[in-house]
Amino acid sequence: MSSTSLPRFRIQTWRMVTLYVAGALVFALLAFRLFNLQIFEGVNWLIRAEDNFTREISIPALRGIIYDRNGMVLARNIASYNVVITPAYLPDDAVDIQRIYRELSGIIDVPVNHGTVDDAKLVAACVPGPGIAQLVELGDSLAPYSPVKIKCDVDGESARIIRERAVAWPGVDIEIEPIRDYPTGSLTANVIGFLGPIPAARVEQYEALGFKAGRDKVGYAGVEASMQDILAGQNGRRVIEVDVAGKELRNLEPPIPPVPGDNIRLTLDTRLQLAAEGALLGEIESWNAYFGRIRISSGVVIAMNPKTGEILAMVSYPTYENNRLARFIPAYYYQQLSEDPRHPLLNNAISSEYPPGSVFKLSTATGALNEGVVTIDQTIYAPGQLILTEKFSPNDPGRERPFVDWIFDQNPAGFGQIDFLHCIAYSSNVCFYKLGGGYKDEIPQGLGILRLREYARALGYDEPSGIELPGEADGLIPSPKWKRINQGENWSTGDTYIASVGQGYVLATPLQVLMSGATIANDGKLMQPTILREVINDEGHVVRFFQPAMKWDITTTQLIQNYECEGGYCSEAEGKKTVSPFVVQSVQEGMRLAVTDPRGTLNKVFSGFPIAVAGKTGTAEYCDDVALSQNRCQYGQWPTHSWTLAYAPYDDPEIIVMAFCYNGGEGASVAGPIVAKVVEAYFEIKAIDIAEGVGGGG
Amino acid sequence: MLRGLSWRHFDFWLLGAVVLAIAFGVAMIDSAVAGNVEIADYPSRQAIFAGIGLVVIFGIAAIDYNYWSVLYRPIYGVMMLLLFFLFLSARAVFGAARWFRVGVIFVQPTELAKIVVILILARYFEQTQDEPRDLRWIISSLLWTMGLAIWILLQPNLSNVIVIMVIWISMLWLNGLQIKHLLTFGVSGLILLVVGFPFLQDYQRQRVITFLFPDPTARHGATYNVRQALIAIGSGGLLGKGYGHGSQVQLRFLKVRHTDFIFSAISEEFGLIGALLVIAVLVFIIARCMRAARMARDTSGAMIAFGVGVLIFFQGAVNIGVNLNLIPVSGLPLPFISYGGSGLLSLMLGIGLVESVIMRHKALEF
Repeated sequence: MSSTSLPRFRIQTWRMVTLYVAGALVFALLAFRLFNLQIFEGVNWLIRAEDNFTREISIPALRGIIYDRNGMVLARNIASYNVVITPAYLPDDAVDIQRIYRELSGIIDVPVNHGTVDDAKLVAACVPGPGIAQLVELGDSLAPYSPVKIKCDVDGESARIIRERAVAWPGVDIEIEPIRDYPTGSLTANVIGFLGPIPAARVEQYEALGFKAGRDKVGYAGVEASMQDILAGQNGRRVIEVDVAGKELRNLEPPIPPVPGDNIRLTLDTRLQLAAEGALLGEIESWNAYFGRIRISSGVVIAMNPKTGEILAMVSYPTYENNRLARFIPAYYYQQLSEDPRHPLLNNAISSEYPPGSVFKLSTATGALNEGVVTIDQTIYAPGQLILTEKFSPNDPGRERPFVDWIFDQNPAGFGQIDFLHCIAYSSNVCFYKLGGGYKDEIPQGLGILRLREYARALGYDEPSGIELPGEADGLIPSPKWKRINQGENWSTGDTYIASVGQGYVLATPLQVLMSGATIANDGKLMQPTILREVINDEGHVVRFFQPAMKWDITTTQLIQNYECEGGYCSEAEGKKTVSPFVVQSVQEGMRLAVTDPRGTLNKVFSGFPIAVAGKTGTAEYCDDVALSQNRCQYGQWPTHSWTLAYAPYDDPEIIVMAFCYNGGEGASVAGPIVAKVVEAYFEIKAIDIAEGVGGGG
Repeated sequence: MLRGLSWRHFDFWLLGAVVLAIAFGVAMIDSAVAGNVEIADYPSRQAIFAGIGLVVIFGIAAIDYNYWSVLYRPIYGVMMLLLFFLFLSARAVFGAARWFRVGVIFVQPTELAKIVVILILARYFEQTQDEPRDLRWIISSLLWTMGLAIWILLQPNLSNVIVIMVIWISMLWLNGLQIKHLLTFGVSGLILLVVGFPFLQDYQRQRVITFLFPDPTARHGATYNVRQALIAIGSGGLLGKGYGHGSQVQLRFLKVRHTDFIFSAISEEFGLIGALLVIAVLVFIIARCMRAARMARDTSGAMIAFGVGVLIFFQGAVNIGVNLNLIPVSGLPLPFISYGGSGLLSLMLGIGLVESVIMRHKALEF
């Protein structure tokens, strides 16, 4: 070898070293970064890795079924069939996919191709429009292992065919979705209510309870809303591992199965409900036909067992069809309902307040007799009209004003000399003006508004009853203080006179009117009105038995505030008192006399009725915005609501019925027959039950 | 030429490290398949390539590397033609094509081109070792380099052009590049970068932008991939989740986990210890190349060994840097470990050349 092969050029060492240092720095940087990520931030990244593959699935719980007292289904869950395609399970071959689309399209009438994927992004699930291919393509790009809804709510026959053929159509399946169904529909809609999506404002609250917004529905009205907690049950929960495509791999935690909601049995008797609705609608329709226009626009019938407080029927007309709201709430239908001036979405039985009119005289009568304003034997002169002095303060000289009795148009002489019982039986306004406000030497000291208020409240007025239904109104029994705050005016003597007959500022819900009657009928015991009889768990065991609850007994519970009265003005005194049983019994007798006396207000209605009935009618003048807009609030010509309240049998009542017709006119002739029909129906149903050995209504 | 061939100086340490890295890579690719049927046969393919590569190493080592210098014209010509046709076919298809399809195998001439550039430059610096280190000396070497690199740039494949330019610059440096020239190049390179940015391909610009200003809401694409890589690496911790048990890998949240992001897969399943071991093996391989460069009997040998070392270093550092989200996504594989037949064979060819250099380092042996 020669020296020429020796390198003539030598690499300078410092140049090599520079490169080594550069390389070492680079690797040191990488190692440092690696150390940082894996050691210092490791835990955070581990959490994110777990987030990646962890998915929580909420398993829906089945909602409880609602029965009536006899076990008839009022609300249940039925299967609704959705056709779904899971993009990831479709065959690989595009030709096979197209064949599946075409064949499926033939059955469900959804086009294979329609619009673009971007169009499909704009429509919610179940809304028709996009073609099958577009829906699947969109779903594939989002979550290939999540089923895409192609068509919702196909009929059972199509669902069966598709499920059979799905063997040859990988990826196609039928998804069963539970939908609420109301077999009695509009008959019970006001009591049962309907479901809707979880409102945006309450999403957090419901999600904390394990609900899933966008899927789970919650009660919006009626029992569905008030007993949401009982009916809803508890959703189950699974924590699963998924891969990047969303494919479920395994359970990460033991799954928590859903707990189905409890079933409930209501106190309603659907048969009586049907009879009540028939009676109300029949009466309304015949009167409307008679007048040739819509005269009575709404009405209420409630039937209750006064001894237990069980509501047997509760009809509020107009109503709505809750089955139309079951799958989703159609905007046009909901708008139509909410814009209707008669408020079909409101349960008028508990949510609307009306002047009670003469049915309120039960409060005045009870108070007057109990406070010694009048004695049972005293006769009161009741002419057709009474000239009374309206005074706004004790020293006000006052202004004379006629107060008219309802009999005045038929007989200006009025009822003449009548006793306390006949005051009730004939529903004499003049008599009750005197009892409520006092009249000269005949009734030197009237009951007065403050004491009247105490008795009205004792009979259930002026506060929500506490029935298990949402949206209950308070009603209103005014007081001088209330008037000063809300009307900016002193309480006048005239206010007391008209409040004594349930007019003026007095407002009540139909249920409160019923409760006042029930308290008298039940010897002073006010039972808590209830719609819920039993709660039954999903295995059929009763978990909550029916237990009648008494709110109070006016003959034993110290409810009535003592007042000392002087010259028509009362001031609060020490202590509280009860109502004497004799007083309650006397009012009962007055109500019975309304049926038995030939001139009694309910005499014609219940003539020849085999069972002893007692009751009270009401014809309440009103001037609300509807009447105002029709220019009907003319002096002495105000439109009237029709009320009637009756219970039977008189000596041992088991049914009390209340009917109300908005703008119905005279109580006895419009609401009266409705009550009679419902009472009659009740005893017919009872007879059938006894004949069949069912053992009565409860 | 094989007469008197002595395997006495064959670097078995280097070979051992390479075989270790490749074997580990095959195992990691096997784990990275994670039920994806499309890449199910990649581990065995990679193993077959590795087998062929071993034959190549011994074959190339047996041949004196200076023979290639003699044949530099045909080698350079053929390589240029290959790249030119690739460029043409890339235009015929749309966008970028980086491989020729030969049966079921995709051949990437670019990978081979990097080795050819090393050979050509090694010959050039051998030839010019006595010439002054002036601009002419620099420009000529640049022209030799660009003769091949231009077609790669036109593919367009910027990352590999950068790899080639790094090899060129570091060889210049080692051969006595003057500091003033280096500064001139540095400054003009920087200007070129700023001015040239708007002329980059859309996807390249996008990568740089995504790197600098990541979109935290992105569900897919480069940001998503890099974030999943970070989750994979970070969640690996010190000891990793165990082979075949990395959730990011096995549930396929980590994308391109058998090639570009295999380092993330390793870091997840073997943790910091595993990742550092992989880096250590690479460093060892690079160190053995540098040892060969220092001991080479002549400049061309030194430059070949050095060039291969720089190639492995730069590709490795860039790949790991991408995985660690230190630099924008580049698409450069992790040497010896990422899946890819052409890349692996080219690198093993390079190792064969290094072995050839080290085997012949004792010029005065009798």
